[in-house]
Amino acid sequence: MISGGIIVGQYYPVRSLVHSLDPRAKILISMVFMVILFVGNNFYAFAVTGTFAVLAVTLSRIPWKVLVRGLRPIAFIMSFTLVLHLLLTPGQVIFQIGPIKATLPGLIQGIFIALRLIILIMFTSLLTLTTSPIELTDGLEDILKPFSRIGVPAHEIAMMMTIALRFIPTLLEEADRIMKAQMARGADFESGNMFQRAKSLVPLLVPLFVSAFRRADELAMAMEARCYRGGEGRTRMRQLSLSAKDYYALGLTIVMSALVIYTRVRFGPVIPRGTV
Amino acid sequence: MTREKQVWTVHTLVKISVLGVISFVLTFFKTPVWFTLPFLKLDIADVPSLLGAFAMGPVTGIWVPLIKNLLNVVVEGTVTNGIGELTNFLVGSVMAYTAGWVYKRNRTFKGALLGLGLGVISMTVFATLNNHFVMFPLYGKVFGIDRDTLVSLASAGNGLVADYTALLLFSIVPFNLLKGLAASVVAVLVYKRLSPVLKG
Repeated sequence: MISGGIIVGQYYPVRSLVHSLDPRAKILISMVFMVILFVGNNFYAFAVTGTFAVLAVTLSRIPWKVLVRGLRPIAFIMSFTLVLHLLLTPGQVIFQIGPIKATLPGLIQGIFIALRLIILIMFTSLLTLTTSPIELTDGLEDILKPFSRIGVPAHEIAMMMTIALRFIPTLLEEADRIMKAQMARGADFESGNMFQRAKSLVPLLVPLFVSAFRRADELAMAMEARCYRGGEGRTRMRQLSLSAKDYYALGLTIVMSALVIYTRVRFGPVIPRGTV
Repeated sequence: MTREKQVWTVHTLVKISVLGVISFVLTFFKTPVWFTLPFLKLDIADVPSLLGAFAMGPVTGIWVPLIKNLLNVVVEGTVTNGIGELTNFLVGSVMAYTAGWVYKRNRTFKGALLGLGLGVISMTVFATLNNHFVMFPLYGKVFGIDRDTLVSLASAGNGLVADYTALLLFSIVPFNLLKGLAASVVAVLVYKRLSPVLKG
């Protein structure tokens, strides 16, 4: 719900090594990490990926409290799967209450999946915690650029994102203001069934669209007046450039990936195939 | 004709961004629905995509959900590794594109209703197939949630969900129908008043 002073966005602005990395490098590392996490199929792999994630978090100077808070939305689903794996996996029984049996393979399987999920969410949320939305958009444009040959409008997408990001706070504020104004006139946004509630949003939507489009029109005119004509030959205020630390980070990621692949080949899955 | 060809005018660019932002803002007004999976939330964020597809052509119905979901990832981060956002984008753009495509060929009130109806149906069909063939297996890989887990998650709120087929039929299908219907109703209620602004 929108109420006074809603905080939108995850970005946690402090100065740190991770914050100062190039957004393109960070997006790339995150993508590699996601894949590699699923390549790892035993606890040795988690030792590697976990260390990498902890190192990244420490270097980012983001308090652990903030990261743990990010795990909250999945806490329910995670504990649910953990319990189900514990109870439903056949194998050696470790304890039994009536008809409910908890098994050892179930416990291992459950912990394995929960651990993987925790590392995954922590690391991926680090990307949005340490990179401002606008930096991410700039990075995205550069990453999409090679695809513009096959018709992906990389520049246009990035430009729309940039404009959109600039409008988010404005429109949130506007929505809040309109809601209060309509409530003062007796509008009710909270009660009724789903359709009544959807209908009650109409007196919010109409003025919101009208004012948003007025702003859009003004912005479009301002851009035209300044001769905006697409990405061709456009210069940037924020120029992205890879520096030594980006290459170190990428190098470290390659080493980490190689180690995980090694553990997979060397040790195999945590529970041998066919036993579960 | 020349204006038709020039897809990326500054005005289109800015309008799509604004529709994307409104869509993003509307995702804050979401409610869980008792009969389906706990991570499926009902909102009317598809209204801006539908309005855009009606006023500015069906392709706008793809760009708006794209911007909304990219904003979601970039601003809020993602707990599903982008799976949730990707699903939302695909499902949303199928509905808006279909509705816009029909309306473009039949610009009457009836045409709009027909478009929305077909949009909702094609979205529901697409979402169900997509869940069955792509998303549930993918969720299984990432979260370690298999079909049985999904079934028991949904059956907690909905007694009709006894097995996996029932999950698709009594949980996924009604959720998408309801979501499409809610967005369509609101879109119909506001479109006439907003179309001069949207096209202007």
